[in-house]
Amino acid sequence: MLKYTLGRILSGLVTIWFIATATFLAMHAVPGDPLMNEKATTPEIRENLARKYGLDKPIVEQYVIYLGNMVQGDFGISFTQQNRKVNDIIQDHFPVSAALGILAITFAALGGILWGALTALYRNQLPDIIIMFLVILGISVPSFVFAALGQLLLVNINQWFNISFLPVAGWGTFAHMIVPSLVLGLGTMALLTRLMRSSMLEIVNEDFIRTARAKGLSPSRIFFQHQLRNAILPVVTVLGPQIAAITTGGFVVELVFAIPGLGRYFVQAVQQLDYTVIMGTTVFYGAFLVFMVILVDIIYGFIDPRVRLK
Amino acid sequence: MGTHKLLEVSNLSVEFETYGGVVKAVRGVDFSVDAGEVLAIVGESGCGKSVTVQSIMGIIPMPPGKITGGSAKLKGEEILGLQAQAANQFRGKEIGMIFQDPMTSLNPTMTIGAQIAETLKVHRGLSTQQASEIASELLIRTRIPEAQKRLNQYPFEFSGGMLQRAMIAQSLACSPSLLIADEPTTALDVTIQAQILDLLKELQSRDGMAIILITHDLAVVARTAQNVCVMYAGQIVEQGSVDDIFYKSAHPYTLGLKLAMPSNVSQQNKKLEPIPGSPPDLFSPPSGCGYAARCPHAMRICHKENPPLFSDPREPLHAARCWLQAPGAPKTQGLYQPNLIASHGA
Repeated sequence: MLKYTLGRILSGLVTIWFIATATFLAMHAVPGDPLMNEKATTPEIRENLARKYGLDKPIVEQYVIYLGNMVQGDFGISFTQQNRKVNDIIQDHFPVSAALGILAITFAALGGILWGALTALYRNQLPDIIIMFLVILGISVPSFVFAALGQLLLVNINQWFNISFLPVAGWGTFAHMIVPSLVLGLGTMALLTRLMRSSMLEIVNEDFIRTARAKGLSPSRIFFQHQLRNAILPVVTVLGPQIAAITTGGFVVELVFAIPGLGRYFVQAVQQLDYTVIMGTTVFYGAFLVFMVILVDIIYGFIDPRVRLK
Repeated sequence: MGTHKLLEVSNLSVEFETYGGVVKAVRGVDFSVDAGEVLAIVGESGCGKSVTVQSIMGIIPMPPGKITGGSAKLKGEEILGLQAQAANQFRGKEIGMIFQDPMTSLNPTMTIGAQIAETLKVHRGLSTQQASEIASELLIRTRIPEAQKRLNQYPFEFSGGMLQRAMIAQSLACSPSLLIADEPTTALDVTIQAQILDLLKELQSRDGMAIILITHDLAVVARTAQNVCVMYAGQIVEQGSVDDIFYKSAHPYTLGLKLAMPSNVSQQNKKLEPIPGSPPDLFSPPSGCGYAARCPHAMRICHKENPPLFSDPREPLHAARCWLQAPGAPKTQGLYQPNLIASHGA
């Protein structure tokens, strides 16, 4: 198990290095640079600025310096936000995105497993039909629509009762997180529900379920001990990539609900060619996702003994 | 127990509703098992053997399956069509069951020990500690080496034969009075088959447990069983002791099965004779005898009317569902025709 984990971490580090290099190359391949806009009015100023940020050096040297700093955990200073360190931006805003993302994925996973199991249990009966209809909606409607609708609904509810049940936008308390994370997790939940349902239906027909019944186990014991655990495996498999989708895809929802998450800086930085912020956020996100996927793989090993020993 | 048989099945009928129509998988089956008896149910694939025993255990999927009639009494008490809670009073406790494919019949994410212990915990209310001690003894009894270590392993770490031993250990956990073995050796290779059969027989004779052995292999029957039911197209076509079935075959289908079986008596020019054709479509079972279409001795009546079970009043336990056993039927070569007069059940 330790060897397996170490192996995964090592290959994760290689992935992160690859992400950093690819981002660096892609970024420099885009025409223009961060000094293109208003500040660099004369060639002299431009030259001075370039020297200050090290943009006058050859690309290879920039790359080496950059990687060196990154290994030490320093992503440099933003080009567009005066003297703000990229580390500070990440430190200030990532916890917000992470809290939102983790809540969303928790909600999606629990909901997906619950609804999936329920629909399988009531296969082709009314609860199944209703939930599966909602699932199709959840998969096909993009999150910004749900975000806007959710917000509108919240406004109306608050107005109707004339008290503020939940804040409509903003950030700060747990109450602020509830609706945005619901909206953010909805698509994933729908996906996981479908996966869980088909997985449950497959497991019901397995021979070992028949054995469990022949052993005289109660239906609830068969459901929890034998069906659920085996049916969860495919759900756990897609959880890693889904965490990726949720944390990086969260910026639209963050925008709608005025949440000061990292997503906004990420998008802004790309628009303004803010080299250090692009690199910093991309590599950071990349590392985060790689870590999540490794974590899911390790968790998978605990659920499925067959993976553990390989 | 009194005068009750251990298990008495009468007129069991089971149907499956499918998209193609209703399959009449089991059409009025009667048999009984005494304590300590080994009963073999033989027949080719799709003749209703497995459905019969799975219906008794209440583990056929319902729907599409449906028990349309009959009864099954365990020590005099009706067990057919019970709800899960009531059925669990005998499943795994009074009747143990093992299946054809041990590779898929155990939960892949639970250790062998936990799966055996589970039965003990549920039926006997034992603690995890006590249950795993008994589980380890069971593994030793079923000849699994290094039982302690094996207890904590998962099914994928076992070979097929070992898994079937573990399945047997699991089914024996609560010392059932009846073990149903549904083709226990079909998925195993020949050398392992013999070991598993020997093990079953040994456990049976030591614990006085009855066994219903389902198989399509007559060699397995000869080796293990005392009594035999031959099933065809959802019905029992012949039943009797092993000697009756092998030496006094009274149904052409039994005869056909015997001719299709290799023997080690060297005979020049002896070829195995397959039974031509395949069993009838059970979506619409024939109105006559199910075997008539393949039977070399079929008469006119065979196509029209399903024969009742005929038996000789002097040996009432040997019965055959064949018109050739009716009084006045033509003599047929190879067939045992004692001039049966009594008939029971249609």
